[in-house]
Amino acid sequence: MLEGRGIPAVVLGTDAFISLARAAALKYGLPHLAVATVPHPIGGVDPKIVGGKAEAIVDEVLAALTRDPARPASQVATLGAVTVEAPDDLDAFQAWAMEQRWSDGLPVLPPTAERVARLLGRRDRASVIATLAPLDGRATLEAIAINAALAGAGPEHLPVIVAAVRALADPAFNLNAIQTTTHPCTPLLIVNGPIAARLSIGGGANALGNGHRANAVIGRAVRLILQNVGGARPGLEDRATLGHPGKFSYCLAENEAVSPWAPLHVERGFSATTSTVTVAGAEAPHNVNDHGSTTAEALLLALAGTAATTGSNNVYLGGQPVVVLGPEHAATIAGSGWSKAEFKQRLWQSARVPLDRFSAENLARFAVIAPERFVGRPPGADVPWCVSPDDLVVIVAGGPGKHSSVIPTFGATRSVTVAIED
Amino acid sequence: MRPMNVLSPLGATSDTIKPLARRRPSLAGLRIGVLDNSKPNADVLLGRVAERLAERVSGATITRWQKPGASHPALMIDEIAGAADVVLTGSAD
Repeated sequence: MLEGRGIPAVVLGTDAFISLARAAALKYGLPHLAVATVPHPIGGVDPKIVGGKAEAIVDEVLAALTRDPARPASQVATLGAVTVEAPDDLDAFQAWAMEQRWSDGLPVLPPTAERVARLLGRRDRASVIATLAPLDGRATLEAIAINAALAGAGPEHLPVIVAAVRALADPAFNLNAIQTTTHPCTPLLIVNGPIAARLSIGGGANALGNGHRANAVIGRAVRLILQNVGGARPGLEDRATLGHPGKFSYCLAENEAVSPWAPLHVERGFSATTSTVTVAGAEAPHNVNDHGSTTAEALLLALAGTAATTGSNNVYLGGQPVVVLGPEHAATIAGSGWSKAEFKQRLWQSARVPLDRFSAENLARFAVIAPERFVGRPPGADVPWCVSPDDLVVIVAGGPGKHSSVIPTFGATRSVTVAIED
Repeated sequence: MRPMNVLSPLGATSDTIKPLARRRPSLAGLRIGVLDNSKPNADVLLGRVAERLAERVSGATITRWQKPGASHPALMIDEIAGAADVVLTGSAD
């Protein structure tokens, strides 16, 4: 962006993360942008070592700032909907799809023109739904349908997938960071409204697990779109240190029928008869087992104890952690007379991490990033697990049993809810 | 094994190449801008390179900016474009 204004620039980074700088440069039409790398890592090491690494690239940076680079002859551009020859044997196709980096590792179905046409129906295939970070790839309806075909989705699932893509592109979601961070996060899709029952999107027993085709193919199609259209390839632009299993597919419906409270989409201003999808940049779920407690007050101990953890992003970056209450836990809480808002307030009050659970290095770092929570605090003080009780996203899902789930999020992201145009 | 035609799932991306800024032969007298992405030790890496560059010529100055967090786009691009002649910035961890 600075280069476009006549300011020579050089991007400095580590060799392990250079693919991100290249992706960003390509997005701005600057594949020849100067990049200088030092050996990874620079974070979490003595500044003297980093200084030494810096000395080694001074000449390279000087050259990049004072010599005009050659302009590349042509941009390698992918124009989408390109027809490619693939092996027609289904087993051979799997290895081939991995070589193209189109697959997530599970078997994919060939996106033939015929299958893609069946998914699209009469929709305008050239219609651009969004551009997706980090590559600003154009998510046309056709590109979305091709990935849905890979994932094994049917035409009935397409409206949910399209709505999710729209939600992911909302600037509040901060997709570029979600796609490229080292943190293990991926969009959790929460479906509300009548479409959930119509498509058999699981919100009951094992809602976050296996055994629901709609959950599996909708979540998976969205992941393949993020990888193939957004251009976040695992280990390249997607820099996740570990990732988590939800990066194959992460989708459920709220179990509105058994919830004692208004569902998520109604809380956010949609009518109960509107169908919506909410995206949250989420970690894996962490279970809260409580078979004993019989009141809201008592149940709070296990919920808060699971929520308030030192290593969470939310504790210093803020953002909106998700709480999935099992129906029996929700009934216990509502049985004590608590509204959803009151539950959020009480959980937020209880879920706190004492400052002595953070290392001195982290306290110094967090004091810069979140001064309002980490600066000038007396000894023995604690910090809440997110900035405000209103930040908590609370839904009811699951089947019979005494379990709930706490799902931390990336932090620098807001969940986004959009209507599904069916 | 016969070939089968499939559609590529990759999204269309930008197909234009923009020119880079024209370089000046020396950094003498130039304002060197440093945009720190606020990742740990990025300030050390960027700062040290900027200092060494400034030492090699006469009249070069260094101005530093810090993004509020690595996960946010830089909002101070206008300011930097007006106050620096060349810029060093950081990417990722």
